[in-house]
Amino acid sequence: MRKHDSEIAEELFVHAPLEERTSEEITQKPTGFWIESFQRLSKNRGAVIGFIIIIIISILAIFGPMFNKYEYNTQDLARSNLPPLVYGLERFGFDGTDSHGTNVYEAKSIANEAAWIGTDEFGRDLWTRVWRGTQISMLIALVAAFLDLLIGVIYGSISAFYGGKIDNFMQRIIEILVGIPNLILIILFILIFEPGIVTIILAMVITGWVNMARIVRGQILQLKGQEFILASRVLGATNRQLIWKHLIPNTMGPIIVTLMFTIPTAIFFEAFLSFIGIGIQPPLASLGTLIEDGYQDMRFFSYKLIFPAVLISAIMISFNVLGDGLRDALDPKMRK
Amino acid sequence: MKKLFILLTIVFVFLIVGCGFEDESKKSEETDSGSGDKAATITLMEPSEIPTLDSSHAHDFVGFTTLNNINEGLYRGDENHEPQLAVAEKHEISDDETVHTFTLRDSNWSNGEKVTANDFEYAWKRVFEVSGHYSDMFVTADVKNAQAILDEKMDPEELGVKALDENTLEVTLESPNPLFKQLLINPTFFPLYESFVEDAGEQYGTEADKLLFNGAFVLDSWKHDQGWVLKKNEDYWDADSVKLDKINVNVVKESSTAVNLWETGELDRVDLSSSYIDEYENDDNYLTEERPSIVFMRVNHNEEAFQNENIRKALDMAIDKEGLTDTILNDGSKPLYGLVPKDFSFSPNDNKDFRDINGEYNEGTNEDAQALFEEGLSEVNKDSLSFKLTVSDDEAHQKAAEFIKNQLETNLSGMEIEIKKVPFEARLEQEKAVDYDMVISTWGPDYNDPMTFLDMWVTNGSANRMDFSDEEYDALIDEANEESDEAKRYEKLLEAEEKLMSEMHILPLFQDVDAILMHQNIKGMIRHPAGPDYDYKGIEIE
Amino acid sequence: MLRIDEESIPFLYRELIRIKMEMMKRGGSMSKYILQRFLYMMITLFIIVTITFFVMRLLPGTPFSNPEKLSEAQLEIMNVKYGLDKPLAVQYLTYLGNLVQGDLGLSFQSQGRTVINVIANRIGPSALIGGQAMVIGFIIGLILGVISALKHNTIFDYGSVFLAVLGMSVPSFVFAALMQYFIGVKLEWLPVALWEGYSYSIMPSIALSVLVIATVARFIRSEMLEVLGQDYVLTARAKGISEEVVIIRHVLRNALIPVVTVVGPLSVSIMTGTLVIEKIFAVPGLGEQFTLSILVNDYSVIMGITLFFSALFIFVIFVVDVLYVILDPRIKLEREG
Repeated sequence: MRKHDSEIAEELFVHAPLEERTSEEITQKPTGFWIESFQRLSKNRGAVIGFIIIIIISILAIFGPMFNKYEYNTQDLARSNLPPLVYGLERFGFDGTDSHGTNVYEAKSIANEAAWIGTDEFGRDLWTRVWRGTQISMLIALVAAFLDLLIGVIYGSISAFYGGKIDNFMQRIIEILVGIPNLILIILFILIFEPGIVTIILAMVITGWVNMARIVRGQILQLKGQEFILASRVLGATNRQLIWKHLIPNTMGPIIVTLMFTIPTAIFFEAFLSFIGIGIQPPLASLGTLIEDGYQDMRFFSYKLIFPAVLISAIMISFNVLGDGLRDALDPKMRK
Repeated sequence: MKKLFILLTIVFVFLIVGCGFEDESKKSEETDSGSGDKAATITLMEPSEIPTLDSSHAHDFVGFTTLNNINEGLYRGDENHEPQLAVAEKHEISDDETVHTFTLRDSNWSNGEKVTANDFEYAWKRVFEVSGHYSDMFVTADVKNAQAILDEKMDPEELGVKALDENTLEVTLESPNPLFKQLLINPTFFPLYESFVEDAGEQYGTEADKLLFNGAFVLDSWKHDQGWVLKKNEDYWDADSVKLDKINVNVVKESSTAVNLWETGELDRVDLSSSYIDEYENDDNYLTEERPSIVFMRVNHNEEAFQNENIRKALDMAIDKEGLTDTILNDGSKPLYGLVPKDFSFSPNDNKDFRDINGEYNEGTNEDAQALFEEGLSEVNKDSLSFKLTVSDDEAHQKAAEFIKNQLETNLSGMEIEIKKVPFEARLEQEKAVDYDMVISTWGPDYNDPMTFLDMWVTNGSANRMDFSDEEYDALIDEANEESDEAKRYEKLLEAEEKLMSEMHILPLFQDVDAILMHQNIKGMIRHPAGPDYDYKGIEIE
Repeated sequence: MLRIDEESIPFLYRELIRIKMEMMKRGGSMSKYILQRFLYMMITLFIIVTITFFVMRLLPGTPFSNPEKLSEAQLEIMNVKYGLDKPLAVQYLTYLGNLVQGDLGLSFQSQGRTVINVIANRIGPSALIGGQAMVIGFIIGLILGVISALKHNTIFDYGSVFLAVLGMSVPSFVFAALMQYFIGVKLEWLPVALWEGYSYSIMPSIALSVLVIATVARFIRSEMLEVLGQDYVLTARAKGISEEVVIIRHVLRNALIPVVTVVGPLSVSIMTGTLVIEKIFAVPGLGEQFTLSILVNDYSVIMGITLFFSALFIFVIFVVDVLYVILDPRIKLEREG
C-alpha cells in the first residue's frame, strides 16, 4: 500500500470547486411514475395504435349514427335486406349486389339511397345500428368495468389489509359466489328488475367484480409486508393513509391491466347473453345482438355479420394490446 | 416441476386414449352395419333429446313421434290424418254411443308375448297412477270417471276401461264423443306390457333396453343427447308394408349445423331456419310443410283499453301481417286472420276448410285502423295508450315483436309499445298469471279438431290466460260439446270462432310453416297436424 | 426473508406463496393444513348448495317439460306427486337428506333418468374436447408467449399477441361456425358435427382451444418478462451460460410454475363443457346440458351439475395448492440458503 502512495502523490489531488447550488442540482429532470409510465407507453407502438383505434371507434360510436338520415329503429320494408353500397367504393365489394350477383338497388329501383353497409330485414340502416350498437356495448362494458373496479378494489383491499379472520371470511364469500351458477343469478336479475341495459350491467357486475377483488387483494397482501409500508407505519401513518396513499397507488398497474381485459370480456358476455336470448331489449341493438342476428344470416347476407364482427375484433384486439402495453409501462421493473 | 408435467401428460394421454378406444369400437360397429347390408336407411334430425319414452308420461313432439313409430295403439292416423284401426281389428259402438268395444287383432310385443286387452287397461289406468302429463286427455275423450279420478274423488281402478277377455276391450264414455277415435291415436292411449313395466319401475322408457315394442319399428339403440336408431320390427303385424330397414336420428340443436350436415350428406332431411330459405328455395329438395300451430297476441282483458272492441280491432288492423311473414320472418309462415289455422280442419259434409268458411277477419287499411283507434280512445276517454309487449326469447317472436312495435307506433298515432323480452318459462308464468299487457303466444293443436283451439277461451279455461269471459261464447262451446250430429256441431264451432274473432278478442299473427330440405327419393313420410307429428311406417326410398 | 416480486402474478400464485410461507412459519404442518382446507371446502360447498337451491326456486316456471300445455289442475297433481307442493324448507331438508346418502334424485325433464346418469353421460365428450383443447391451447399458447416475451416490443411481439387474441376476438359461436363451414363443408377435412368417432372431437377441440391459447400466451409472456428481469437470470448470463440454456432452464422453467396453477382451474372450467361449442358441433356435453337445465328449470339436474362443478373446482384448486407447495424450487432454495 505504501508503495502506491509514493507513486500517487497527494499534490495530484485537487479539490473540486465547492459550489453549494450546483452540487444539489440534478442534471436530469426527475420524472414521476405516471409521466415515466406514459413515456414508456408512448414508445410502445402497438399500444399507441390500439389506443388510437379505440379513440376512433369511440368517436364514430358517438357521431357515426349522425352521418346519415336514418334512425337506428326506422323500419322500411321497401329497404329490407339491402346489401352494402358506397358510391366510389363499388370495386371493393360495396356494390349493392347480393350473393347471387344481382344488384338489389336496381331491382328495387332505389338507387340513390345507398345503405353504406347494408340494411337488415326490417330495412333498418346497419351503419346507424352498428354504431349505435357499439355505443351500447361500450356503455355496458365501461360501466360494468367501472363498477367491477369500484367494488373489487374496496372489497379486495379491505380483505387484504385487515387480513386474518376478516380476510378468510371474505375469501369464502368469493368462493361461494364463484360456485353458484351465475346464469341463474343473471336470469333472476333480469326477471326481478325490468329487463334493460341497467339490469344487464348489474347482472354482470354481481359476479364480475370477484376477479378484480382477487387481484387487488393478492397485490396488497404482498405489498403489506414490504419495507416502505413498515416505514410509513413507523412514521405514524393511519390505516386510511396507508391504503389510499401507498397500497392502492402501488396496485394501479395490475388494476388497470385487469380493467383493460374486463371491458372486452363484458362486451362478449353481453353477446353470449344474446346468444341464449336474454340480452338487450329490442329494438335497441348491441354489437352482441347484431352479431347474433348476423350469425343467423351469415350464409346469404354475410355483410350483416362481417361489419359488427370486424368491429368487435378491432375493439377486442385494441384493448388487449393496450392492456399489454399498460402492463409493461406500469411495471416499475421495466424502468430503464 | 417435471413430475407435475409428467403427471399431467399422463392424465391427458389416458384421457385421449381412453376415449379413443371407445370411439374405435363405435366406428367398427358403424362399418359393420354400413357395409354389411344394402339396407334402406335414412338419417333424420330432431332438435332435442327424447325426454321419455314411457307412454304414460310422454308429452312432447319428439317423444310422441318416436312412440308413434315403435308402439301402436287401437288406432293409427293414416295419410289423410284420419284414424284407422291398428291394434284393434274391430270397433263396435253401442246405440247410445257411450260403450265402445274393441276386438284386438293378433299382434305381438317384441318379447314375443301377445298384445292383450289387459295391456290397454293397465296402461290407461297407469296414466293416472303415475300422474302422467296428459291424463286430462282422458277427460277430453270423456272416458268414464276420468274427471273424478283427476279430482281424486275416485280411484284410478274405476276408470271406464275393462278387458273383457284377452282380445276384447270395453271402454265406457260419460257421453258420446265425436273426438274419441281421433284421440286414440295419441301415445297416451297406447298399451303397456304390465310385468315388464313393473320390473323396470321408474326406469321404464329411459333406455332402449328398458322398452318393449309393438310398432312398425324397434328402438335399436339410444345414445342420450346424441341420437337413436330405429330398425324395422319384423314381428310387427303389418311388417309387409314397412319398407324402411333403419332410421338414424341425430340430435342437432343448431340450425346452421343441420344445414352443414345436409351439405355433407350426413342428413337426409333437415328443418331450415329462415336465413337459409333464400339460399335453398329453388333447390329441388326444398319443400314446405304447413303446421297448424298458430302465433297470436293475447291482450289482457282486465285492461280497460283492451275491453274496448274498437281498440282491439285497430291494433290488429294496424299490423301488416303479410309484411311480417313475407319480409321480416321470410320463413314460409303465413299471415293468419282468424283463430283456427288453414289446412287444419275440414267441414264434415262438403269438406271445406274451416278457415275458408269463416273467412278472414278484420281486414282494413291503416286509415281504417286509425279511425277505429280514435273512436276507441274517445270511448275510453284517453288520448294515448302505452303498453308493454311481452315476448319470449324465440327468434321469430322477437322479430315479430320488433315489427309490431314499429307498426303500431307508426300506424296509430298515440300508441306506444315497449318490448319486454323474457325467458320462455317467465313468459309462460306471466301469461298464466295474466300479468302482462300484450303477449306473443303460441298454440298447437292437441287433436285434429277446431275445438282444440276454441275451448281455450271458455271462462276460466286453463289455456285462457287473459281473463276473457263471455257467457254467450261459453254456451256455444257447451252446445258444441253436447251436439252429437257432426254437421251441427261444426256449425257451432264456426259460430264460436265468429263470436270470438268478430270482436277480435285475440290478435292473430301468423301460422307456422316449416321449410324443409328432404331428398326427393324419400316418399311416404306422413306429418300429422296433431298428436304424434310424424309417421315413418310408410316411408319408401325410390 | 422470502423475496418474490410479482407485479403481474395472478391471485392464485400469490395466495400460494402466502400459504406456503404461513406453513413454513408454523413449521410446515401439512396434514393440519390439508384438514383445515378440507373443512373449509365442505362448508363452502354446503353454502353453495343451499344458496343455489333457494335462488333456483325463485326462477319462474315449472320443472316439467312442455309447460305450455300443462293446465293448472294437471300441474297441481304433478307438483304433489313430485313433492313440489311442500314448503321449500321441507324440500330443502329432503334434498340434503338424499344428498348425504349420495342420491342426487331424478331428472325432471329426462323423466326417470337419474341425475348421476345424466351427468355421467354428458361428461365424457366435454372432458375429451376440453382436455384436447387444453393440450393444443397450452402448446400454441406457450410458443406464442415465449416468442412474444423474447422479442418484446418488436413486430413479433405484436404479431404473437395479435394471433393469440385473434381467435378470441370474434365471439366463439361465429368462430366455430366459420370453422365448421370452411373446414367441414368446403374442404371436407373433418366431420362437420355430431359425435360418432374420434375425428368428430378434433374441430370442437380446436375451436375451444382459442380461449386457452389466449390465456396461456398472455400469461407466459408476462411471467417470462418478469423472470427475464430477475437477478438470477442476469447471473446465469454473466456466467456465460448459452442463451438457450438460460431461456429453457432458468426463464421458462420458472415462468411455467405459476402458469401451471392457472391451468388447473382453467381445465376444470373448460373440461366441464361450454354451451356454444357443444351446441354448434352437436356434441352431447355437459355445458349444453347445464344451460338447458337452467332455462327449463330442471331443478335436480341444476343442483347436480352445480355440486359437481363446484366440488371439482374447489378440489382442483386445493390439489394445485398442495402440489405447488411441494413443487416450487424457489422456496426450497430459500430454506436451504
